[in-house]
Amino acid sequence: MITLEEFVVLLREELLLPLTLADAHRDLHEVAGWDSMHLLWLVGVLERRAGCVLNVADLFEARSLEQIHTLACSAAAPA
Amino acid sequence: MGHGPRRMSDRLETDGRVNASAETPSAALRRLAEANRLVSDFPTVCGIVARLAGPELARAGRLLSRLDPEKLHEAHPGLPTVTISLTGHGTIGAMVPALTAELARHGMIVRPVLAGFDSYVQVLFDADDHLGPARPDITVCVLDPQVIFDEVPVPWRPDDVERVAAAKLDLITNAAGRFDAARRGTLVLNTMTLLRGHSAQLVDHRSRARLGAVWRDVNARLLRLAEAFPSVIVLDLDPLVAAAGTPVRDERLSVYAKGHLSDDLLAAYAAEVGHVARNVAGRTKKCLVLDLDNTLWGGVLGEDGVEGIEVGHSHRGEAFLGFQRVVKQLGSQGVLIAALSKNEPDLVRQALRDHPRMVLRESDFVRVIAGWGPKQEGLDRLAAELGLSTDSFVFADDSPFERELVRREVPGVAVVDIGDDPALHVTALLRDGWFDTREVTEQDLARLASYRDDVARASFLDTFDSVRDYLRELGVRVRIAPVTEAEAPRVAQLTLRTNQFNLTAARLQTPEVLALLAEPGAAPLAVHAGDRFGDQGLVGAVLTRRDGDVLRIDNFVLSCRVFSRAIEDAVLLTVLRQAHEAGATAVVAGYRKTSRNHRVADFYPRHGFHETDRDEDVVSFRHTLTDLAHLPGHITLDVRTDGSPL
Repeated sequence: MITLEEFVVLLREELLLPLTLADAHRDLHEVAGWDSMHLLWLVGVLERRAGCVLNVADLFEARSLEQIHTLACSAAAPA
Repeated sequence: MGHGPRRMSDRLETDGRVNASAETPSAALRRLAEANRLVSDFPTVCGIVARLAGPELARAGRLLSRLDPEKLHEAHPGLPTVTISLTGHGTIGAMVPALTAELARHGMIVRPVLAGFDSYVQVLFDADDHLGPARPDITVCVLDPQVIFDEVPVPWRPDDVERVAAAKLDLITNAAGRFDAARRGTLVLNTMTLLRGHSAQLVDHRSRARLGAVWRDVNARLLRLAEAFPSVIVLDLDPLVAAAGTPVRDERLSVYAKGHLSDDLLAAYAAEVGHVARNVAGRTKKCLVLDLDNTLWGGVLGEDGVEGIEVGHSHRGEAFLGFQRVVKQLGSQGVLIAALSKNEPDLVRQALRDHPRMVLRESDFVRVIAGWGPKQEGLDRLAAELGLSTDSFVFADDSPFERELVRREVPGVAVVDIGDDPALHVTALLRDGWFDTREVTEQDLARLASYRDDVARASFLDTFDSVRDYLRELGVRVRIAPVTEAEAPRVAQLTLRTNQFNLTAARLQTPEVLALLAEPGAAPLAVHAGDRFGDQGLVGAVLTRRDGDVLRIDNFVLSCRVFSRAIEDAVLLTVLRQAHEAGATAVVAGYRKTSRNHRVADFYPRHGFHETDRDEDVVSFRHTLTDLAHLPGHITLDVRTDGSPL
């Protein structure tokens, strides 16, 4: 499991967006440079990294990077 | 033909950077991104991207797709910029970064034009309305199984699929026909893969088999569009899906985001389009340069001897034999095959001539260079001897050292990573469609023979005291005649493949040449050449048009294989004389500078044209037809331009 801070760093590297920790709490619409394609890429990136299957429907409902982080962590955690 | 100025070592010295090979390609890319140098250092970026694959290549695509193509084009006018419009049934946004990465691999800039969601039919029918002034070189229309299944009712039987598909294919056929008639560049379509998620909805094997048959008919109809319409290319996705077990789609992204094809499949698709773009930009590879030891045969010839190398008769031997067969197959379609090996020349000759199981023989190679010099020098020598640029080479070698050296020292060469297991050589060689072309012409089939004739010509040259004597004895014949419909593919190919003697570098596809034939006033001329050693076929084209009492030369291309015989002089003088006889008062022509055609910059002024206008890269010329030079005496001319407006 990674912290929200590490998650933002990972996103910065994978999506090549200039994200900050503050962005994690913003509504996705307000994150500079964010568009819906990023979410599609993120599914592949996170599943490859975590080696687990994410609930994509929930992910698409998420409104912030923080919520995405929570979803990713709960999927990656052993049941 | 030296490539000194492009050497990586020179570049490193001049800009003082550290040796780039010490860091991984991804790290090098990140460093350039952080330094804000992706635009300014784009050629270097392209070299880095050429080393990436899989998720790293995808990430690079996402990074580079944010750069402004216009700024890239402005900063690097010498790099080909290809406008690609994208349309399709589902969400295909992922194609933009994928194409950006693929074109960067090839040292090209993509200007993407993304059409609205599910607008493909409108785009194909009314390209002008939907694409506006963009005039794409390539339009990619991504089809997926939902094109059909979105309209199949529930419950359904194979007959329902057949009915929906027939109507859909009629629509796509009409749209492709309209697109073709509008001459809007190249249209790329694809076959659709039948998914288990569809076929397994039928519980009986009989119906399932019928669905399979119906589906193959649909794809066969799609594939035949390429025969019906010259500007259409249909990519068969089945081999791509089968190749790496690429998933056709992620069900979740299909349901939630209408992304009906997986990113991996779109990436493989983009790789194919990258090679189409190479072809459109006139950058198709021409020559496959092969190492020998452990590439073409097993073992080391110098140590194992002719009898000891592995070709057939063993597991590994069979694998090498299989690889040789594939190389021969490529060679039969106009790809020049050359060998470049660190070996004793006599031993290599003996192996190619006497080894009982060798499939490739000396006569299959346009050149065999064996010796102990560095391979990058061998490549330069080969380029000079064949009159080609090293940019048109694909180099395959099992030695990581040699590959790295060639990558660094001769950056334009495509390097194929041949591994230790010869059973995988074919996969490595064919992974990228380096030699992909629209169609194979008769000229392609005869290419090896005609390059080999050049060898005879070159040694014949050694026996003469002067070039003039040589040319006289060579018996050069030139025939100038209007381009026929059958010759259109070859003329298009000349405009696409010729870089050195190409006065404007205007690239034409076959449909555009055919359009010229029908255009009033236009008179494209084909130049055929031959000599005592053989017939070189259609080697050049002059695209002329009558404009009142002025004759315009829109472009003049000549294959580099017939340079230095004054054929170009004879052709231009003929055009001038004919224009004069037909009452023209002047002939106007232009030269557009590219990175490769500097040797013809003074072609028109040398023949009595005077400059009338000069832009940055474009010079306009005019010949007033008052003083016409004599035709070169050593050429026998056969001019058949009756009925043309010349």
